[in-house]
Amino acid sequence: MPVLNLDLRSMLALLCSELLLGTLTGCGRHRVTLPEVKPPSRVFEPLQEELQKSYLTLFETASKLDYSDGQILKMQEYLKQAQDYCVGKFEGVSGEYERRVADAQRTLKKSNITDEERHTLHCSIQDARALKSQADVISQHAIPVAYDNKQAKLELIQKWPGQLKEIQQSVADGTYKNRRWADVQDIGFREIEKNQKDDIKIGQEAVRDLKQSGLMPKEIEDEAVVSYVKRIGQKIALNSDLQVPLQITVLNSREINAFALPGGFVFIERGILESVDDESQLAGVIAHEMSHDVARHGHKLMTKATIAQIIYQAAQIAAVLATGGAAGIGTLYGLQYGFYGLGLTLNLTLLGVSREFEQQADQLGIQYVWKAGYDTSGFIRFFDKMATKEGYVNSASWFRSHPPFYQRMVESEREIMYLPKQQNLVVNTPEFAAMKAALAKVSAKAEEESKAKPSLISPEQGCPPPSKLLYEADQPIEMICSTPQIISGVTQPGK
Amino acid sequence: MFDTTNYIRRHTARKVALGLAALTWSLGARTANVGPPDEPRSLYLNVEKGSNLITGLTQGNFRLHLDGKPQPFRLEKPEEPASVALLVEHSGSSGYFADDLNAALQGFLKHALEGHWYALATFSHEVEIRTDFTKQIGEITAAYSQLGTPTWSEIDTYDAVYEMLDKMGRLPGRRILVVVGSGLDTFSEHSLGQVQKKAEAENVTIFVAGLGSLFRGAYDPYLDSSARMSLVQGQAFLKMLAGKTGGFAWFPNQVNGFPDVMQGIMQSIATQYRLGYDAPPNGSGKFHTVKVEAFRMVNDKREDFKVLVREGWR
Repeated sequence: MPVLNLDLRSMLALLCSELLLGTLTGCGRHRVTLPEVKPPSRVFEPLQEELQKSYLTLFETASKLDYSDGQILKMQEYLKQAQDYCVGKFEGVSGEYERRVADAQRTLKKSNITDEERHTLHCSIQDARALKSQADVISQHAIPVAYDNKQAKLELIQKWPGQLKEIQQSVADGTYKNRRWADVQDIGFREIEKNQKDDIKIGQEAVRDLKQSGLMPKEIEDEAVVSYVKRIGQKIALNSDLQVPLQITVLNSREINAFALPGGFVFIERGILESVDDESQLAGVIAHEMSHDVARHGHKLMTKATIAQIIYQAAQIAAVLATGGAAGIGTLYGLQYGFYGLGLTLNLTLLGVSREFEQQADQLGIQYVWKAGYDTSGFIRFFDKMATKEGYVNSASWFRSHPPFYQRMVESEREIMYLPKQQNLVVNTPEFAAMKAALAKVSAKAEEESKAKPSLISPEQGCPPPSKLLYEADQPIEMICSTPQIISGVTQPGK
Repeated sequence: MFDTTNYIRRHTARKVALGLAALTWSLGARTANVGPPDEPRSLYLNVEKGSNLITGLTQGNFRLHLDGKPQPFRLEKPEEPASVALLVEHSGSSGYFADDLNAALQGFLKHALEGHWYALATFSHEVEIRTDFTKQIGEITAAYSQLGTPTWSEIDTYDAVYEMLDKMGRLPGRRILVVVGSGLDTFSEHSLGQVQKKAEAENVTIFVAGLGSLFRGAYDPYLDSSARMSLVQGQAFLKMLAGKTGGFAWFPNQVNGFPDVMQGIMQSIATQYRLGYDAPPNGSGKFHTVKVEAFRMVNDKREDFKVLVREGWR
C-alpha cells in the first residue's frame, strides 16, 4: 500500500508530527543537507543568474526567458529547501558559539586560573558573543529576506510575461482607464478621501506622544539638508491630492526609514537620505509616505492606541537588541527599528496595516512623482537597491511584513505603464548633490558622536582583532550558506 | 501577619551563609584602580543650604583638603554629557517594591535631563544590561516596561553594585550610578567591605532611590525586629555608598515620593561642581581623605554650606 511505503526519514517525520515529540527528539529542526532535488543544471544555473538581476532588468527581459511552469516549480521547491538548510546551518553556528561562551564562562569560575588565562577567556567570550550575534542576524534576517527576494523574482519570471500582455491589452482597448484613481490628469482636483483636515489634530497628538515617549531621534539641524528635503516635499505636495499642510521632519538617525503620521506629518530619517542615489528616488519615498496621509490610512488605522503600540513595539525591538551582545546591535537596530512607512519592520499585521493600503500608497506615490515630473522608476529602483544591492542584512527586511514583494513591484510597474508618457523626466539635480555634500558632514558628526558613546558592554582590551563571519552584502546567499567562513578570529567552532 | 517577615528573615539567614563565600572570594578581588603619578583627578560635588542646592559659586568659594592638608585645585566645568546608569533591583523577591519601582522609573522619564547618556541595568542573581548608554530616554523606560516577571529570586545587591562600579570605572568623564533598590542582599559573592573599597577606588558618584516604602510606611507596624533590622541594614548599606561617593540616598515612605527623588537626583546632576587637582602617587592603594569646604562671605561674615562630596579615594 502506498501509505506504508515510507523510508526511515518519513517515518520519523510522521512520528514527530503525530506524537508532538519535536522538542524532545529534535524533530522539526532544519534540514542538514543541501537540497537533493533541483532543476537540471542547464536550467538551474542560468535561472540562478537571472535571480541575481534587478527587478527592473527582469521586467525588461522576463518575456524573453523560456522556463516552463514545472521548472519554475522545481526551482521554488529547491529554494525553499535551500533556505531551510541555510537557516539551519547558521543556527548551528550560533548554537556552537553559544556553547563556547558557556564553556568559557564555566572555566572562569574555576579558582585556580591565572590572570593571563582569565584575559584569554574574556577575549574568547567576547569574540564568540560577537560571532553568535552575527550568525543570528544572518539566520533570522538575512537568509529569509534573501530567499523571499529570490522567490519574488522567480514569480516575476513566471508570471510577468502574461501580466505584461494583459497590461498591453488594457492599454490598447482603453480599459486601463477603469482602474482605481485612473483620473491622473485631475490630480489636485479630485478627492481621494474626504475630510483630510480632520486628521491634523490626531497627527499633532501623535507627534506630541512620540516626542514625549523619548523615543524620537533628534531632528537634523543642518539648514541645507532640511530645506532641500522640505523643498522636494513641497514640490510633490503641490502635485498631489494632499489637502493639508505638509510637515516634513528630518530625523538624525541612521535608520533607513521614513514614516507618516496622520494629518500631513511625514518623517524622513537620515539613513534614507544616505541611501538614495538620486532625487527621483527620494521623491518616490516622500510621495509614498504622503500618499498614506492623502488616503487617510492613518485615520483608519492609527488610533491613539495603535500609535502607542507602534512606539512601544519599536522600543521593545530596540531594547531586545540591546541585550543581543555588543556586536551586531547597530545592524540589528538598522534592520528593525522603525515606525510606519518604508522602513516597515514592525509587525504591521498587529497594527492592521493592510496590503491594500501599501499598494494604494504605491499607486498614488507613483502618480505624484509622475505629476511632479520625476522619473517614476526612482521608487522601484530604490526598493530594488534596498532588496538586492544593499544586501539582505542592511536594509531589506521591510518587505517581510509588507505585501509580497513581487505583487508590490508588479503593481507599481503596472501603474507606471498606465501613466501617460512624459519627456525630460527629472532623475537628478545639482541640489541633490549639494544636499549629499551637506549630509556627509552631518553623518560624519553623528558617527563621531556615536564613537564617543560610552558603553557598559566595554570590550576586553588587548584581545586579537575581532572575528567576523565573512559576508559580502551583495553576494549570492548560497555563497554564505555553503561554507560559513570566519576571518581573523580567536575562536572558531570546529577549528 | 504578612509573609514579608519570613521573607526578610530567610534572606538574612542566607546573608550569613554568604559570609564564607565572600571571604574566599576576597582573596581574588581586583586591585583597586590606581592612576599614574600626578594624574589629574576630579571631585564632583553638590553644595547645599538647608534643602536648597547652591549654584553659581566660584573658585574662591571652595577650599580643598587632601589627607588633612590644603590642596591646590581648579574649579572646572563638569563634563557633559555625563554617563548615568540606572541599576534597578528586579527580583522575584521584590514584589512588594514593584509600585516603588514603577514610580521611580516614571519619575525618571519625567525628569531626566536631555543630552546625557543613560543606561539601564537590572539585577537579581546577576547584572543584566537592558539598555546600553543612549540619549533617547524613552528607550530606558520602554526597556523597563517590558522586563516581565523576574526569573530569579536572589537580590545580590553587593555583587551588582560592585560590577557596575567596575564597568563604570572604565568610562571616561563624569560617571553617575543611580541605584534603585532595597539594599537587601541575599547571596552576593562580594562582601560589604569589598564593595566599600570599590566605591572608594572608582570615581563614580552614587545616588540611591531606596525601595521599600510599604515597609517604611503602612506595613511598618507589622514588621518584627528581625525584618526591620534587615531593612535598616539594607538602607545603611545604600547610605554608605552614597555618602562615600558624594551622592545622596533617599528613602521615601510613600510610593508617590519616588518621582520627587528622581527629580532630586537629576537636579543634583545638573548642579554638580567639579574640582580638578593633581593627585599624588598611590601605589599602595592607601585611602586618601578628601574634605571640601564651600562658603561665601556675606557682610564680612563667612556663611558655610554643606558639601556632598566623596569621602576620599584610593
